Amino acid sequence: MEERGFLGKLAAIVPGLAMMVVTLYLLKQVVEPWLAGVAVFGQKGYITKSIGLNYVLMSILVGMAYRNLLFRGSIPGWAAEGFRTTRLFIKTGVIMLGSLYTIQSLAKVGGLAIALIVAFVFGTIFFVMWMGKKLGMDRSMVGVMGAACGVCGVSAAIATSPGVKAKPAEVALAIATILGFGIMSMFITPPIGRALGLSDYQFGAWVGTGILNSGQVLATCLSFNPAIAPGTAVAYGEIWNVVRVISIPFVVFFITLWYWRGEAQEEHMSLWGILKSKFPIFVLGFFGMTALSSFDMLGKEGSETLHMLRDWMAWIFGIGMVGLGAYIDFGEIKKAGGAPLKIGVAAGTLKLVLSLVIILLFIGKEASF
Amino acid sequence: MSAEEKKKALTVFKTDRHEDVAACCFAGLAVVIVLCYMAFFLPSVTIKAPVDGKLTEIKVKVGDTIAEGQPLYVYETKKKKFVQGQMQETSVSETFKSKTPGKVLSVKLAPGEAFKKGNGLLVVEHVKGTLP
Repeated sequence: MEERGFLGKLAAIVPGLAMMVVTLYLLKQVVEPWLAGVAVFGQKGYITKSIGLNYVLMSILVGMAYRNLLFRGSIPGWAAEGFRTTRLFIKTGVIMLGSLYTIQSLAKVGGLAIALIVAFVFGTIFFVMWMGKKLGMDRSMVGVMGAACGVCGVSAAIATSPGVKAKPAEVALAIATILGFGIMSMFITPPIGRALGLSDYQFGAWVGTGILNSGQVLATCLSFNPAIAPGTAVAYGEIWNVVRVISIPFVVFFITLWYWRGEAQEEHMSLWGILKSKFPIFVLGFFGMTALSSFDMLGKEGSETLHMLRDWMAWIFGIGMVGLGAYIDFGEIKKAGGAPLKIGVAAGTLKLVLSLVIILLFIGKEASF
Repeated sequence: MSAEEKKKALTVFKTDRHEDVAACCFAGLAVVIVLCYMAFFLPSVTIKAPVDGKLTEIKVKVGDTIAEGQPLYVYETKKKKFVQGQMQETSVSETFKSKTPGKVLSVKLAPGEAFKKGNGLLVVEHVKGTLP
């Protein structure tokens, strides 16, 4: 394959990125304001507010249409590099979201978030291990599915795969299964949240616990309430998401240990080694941003500086959402099947329903910050 | 497609670590650009409405020099609150305080007028080096 220089690589990104930016611009600046003015059942804004068809959801849908209809299943070469910047935009947005919090506010909600996430992450892993044994699945497949269902669809499955000697096809299957379930959750949870009258705090806590992928948590929270500010669904959901992402190296360690103990082979593993190689360091940026915000170094709450920063965040996320949609490949989801699909759907549904029950029973409508 | 290929297909970077570092740099750059622009290049600041509401009192006039924390206007807005699991809307009066010092250049609305979130209410001269 031809090696490109830095400028060549940058130039290769431009067409796909331009397509994502133009798409977002049209949806955010033209289509959404137009839809907000359309009266349905004699009510203006019915489509955007009551149905929740805002620019975030439209970005994902249009991204999906690009991939599956326009490009017929695979992003063409001229646009591929640009679309591969999707996760960069999502991670950048997550880092900037740190500015919504102060150290004090994180300390108030953080304890509850840690307790819920730890219980659900490890509870799901145990459930997958139990169900995998019942269905007689291969232990390496169970390990990858446990990581994928427990903590984070793509990253954890890939991070765990070498430790449990998973075959590439098993990893691909686990990812497709779990992302497929996530896509379904992304579209059904906002209407359920509205129907149950969940507050932004409850909704953020629910999807932050129940949904398995960072991009999907953000997309779902922004679909529920597109505002980016303290006290909104995305602000609460992100705390849960960050705690979940931080737990990836611990999950990798735990599952690898389980696998090798079962195989009765000696494996020299160190938690420190896994932390060094797998820790998602972008979350350090998130906490750095929270530190700056705690000392009012990004402007005071309600200032024009913070308004502008949040506008930028909305654009950065929006680009990520178009890309997220374009990575949803119906063909790949169709390939998922058999025992992994049963486990993925059972574990995902159980997690989503149980977390909703716990939130309805124990979490009040209003947060302490 | 192998696992490594699948992962590679999701990023333009060599590894996840590289992508994480790039995201930190990108976010840092975006923040620096916004802060520098707001602190040193913005000629005047349009103070926008934080929520939908109705202006009840303007506490400053054109030409006034204002200090940080000084009340600028009073407005009425609807606040949503959950009482016993039910959402209730109540009308509350709020005072908007200045986030930065400066001089009032223009007042765009009069008491009694309604506004939407994001509408400009006042224009204030920007003091260089401060974050409005």
